[in-house]
Amino acid sequence: MSAQIPNIEDTRDLLKKNQIGIVGVGETEQGKIPGKSSFHFLSEASKLAIEDAGLKKSDVDGVITAFSLVEETFMHCTTFADYIGLNPKYFESVAIGGATAVWMTAAAAMAINSGQAEVVLCVRGDNTLSGISSTGMIALIREMCHGEFEYPFGLTTPGGYALMAQRYLHESKGKREHLASVAVTMRQHAQMKENAMNKDDLTMDDVMGARLLASPLTKFDCSIISDGGAAFIVTTSAKAKELGLKRDPIYLHGMGQGFSHQYLTSCEDLDQIYGAIQTSGDKAFKTAGMTNQDVDITFLYDCFTITTLLELEGLGIVPRGQAGAAALEGRLHKDADIPLNTNGGLLSQAHLGAMHHVIEAVLQLRGDAGERQVKDPNVALVHGNGGIVSAHSTILLGNEPLS
Amino acid sequence: MSEEKVEYAKPLPDFRPETKPFWEGTKQHKLLLPKCKETGKVFFYPRAISPFPGSVNMDFDWVESSGKGKVWTYSVHYMGPTKAYKGETYVVAMIELEDGVKMMSNVVDCDPETVTIGMDVEVVFEDATEEVTFAKFKPVQ
Repeated sequence: MSAQIPNIEDTRDLLKKNQIGIVGVGETEQGKIPGKSSFHFLSEASKLAIEDAGLKKSDVDGVITAFSLVEETFMHCTTFADYIGLNPKYFESVAIGGATAVWMTAAAAMAINSGQAEVVLCVRGDNTLSGISSTGMIALIREMCHGEFEYPFGLTTPGGYALMAQRYLHESKGKREHLASVAVTMRQHAQMKENAMNKDDLTMDDVMGARLLASPLTKFDCSIISDGGAAFIVTTSAKAKELGLKRDPIYLHGMGQGFSHQYLTSCEDLDQIYGAIQTSGDKAFKTAGMTNQDVDITFLYDCFTITTLLELEGLGIVPRGQAGAAALEGRLHKDADIPLNTNGGLLSQAHLGAMHHVIEAVLQLRGDAGERQVKDPNVALVHGNGGIVSAHSTILLGNEPLS
Repeated sequence: MSEEKVEYAKPLPDFRPETKPFWEGTKQHKLLLPKCKETGKVFFYPRAISPFPGSVNMDFDWVESSGKGKVWTYSVHYMGPTKAYKGETYVVAMIELEDGVKMMSNVVDCDPETVTIGMDVEVVFEDATEEVTFAKFKPVQ
């Protein structure tokens, strides 16, 4: 037989054959929680996810972690495997910023598809709010931009997104209210999420009247910084049956990545960003054999209000230039036609990359989201982005196996 | 009376050796851009290898920019990344140079709140330390 170049159809076949999905999720308390280390949060989240799945710790044979902004470690995944007392057959640290959590799911599936592991724990936790020093925070700001050709001009992290937001508003003839409405909707969702950090009422007037940090963004356009942990466990339906787990998995249907730039200096125009988002989404849709019309509930990376608008448009959920108006009309609310980040997102629930987005997608598809529950969702899309709208990853999850 | 030298307290660039011609240029108040000898195109930011599709060329000419361009996007910063910016309002902008590249800089010599997208700007040089001169931009009068 002649050799063939592998393609997305092969991934689809493997996902279909192996019926890979998420069988357990765990979220710790989120917010300002002094007195717990980054590894404490990782452990607590892992315990909750293992218990939620109905597993024993010894059933876990793969570990995927991310990184810590507080306790820097050269080999994060194995440092944690050692700490929790696991001897994994597969280990990996995914470190692509905000694209990390989404891609952990895909990385776990690839490890399982290639026979490297059967039950993979994906976990992230950090004491970012309580543990980071002011020099650590400055180092982080510097890390987000080019240390030689951007940072010396005083660019801040909100500033990087503000540059994109200003251009977006210019091109879409948008207004600050469009951005502000995303923050307000996320707060309404967070008020229904038990462990959300910011639950105080937030009105359009509050956001519009707040001091600008970096025009056109106020502090309400920026995600929160929090302490906490979150974990989920990926396996196959056959393994879940063999282990006698209580629940069927929430199945992975598709995955993809797309890259635009690392530094804003290398970003030619908004088309480049939309293109990367679309590439990421298209690969996920193609793997799943779906289109964006099949998505019932959407989770987008809301590190700043602007990113949700760019992603809604890049994924083709809303036509280009119209996401702001859609947000202002309330269409992102859980009861509207594009329910977005029902957990309250990074803007109001907690900031652990997209870990909580993945977990909330699982809870929604299980029908376990309580008062946040969207009516009968079958398919969820989760999209993460790392850097300043630079590195994208998308997954599609469903409550039925891929057919 | 001797004038006391005020030390530059804001962040300075983390140099990579391969960008030396750029910073030598700004010291002489010239905005030099690397030009790929294979594709004949200028690029920014300076680096050791051509960023253009298909090219792995590592050999460049340094050509002087007209220093003229437009504001592609900007953000008025009311809070800076370090204590040295305390109380300052300043403009961070992406400048689209006539030469076809974008660079990040500050728009100076104007009221920050008057900067707009599409505004015509030209380079001005700001000597920060003996080693570092920044290329900044001011509105064209």
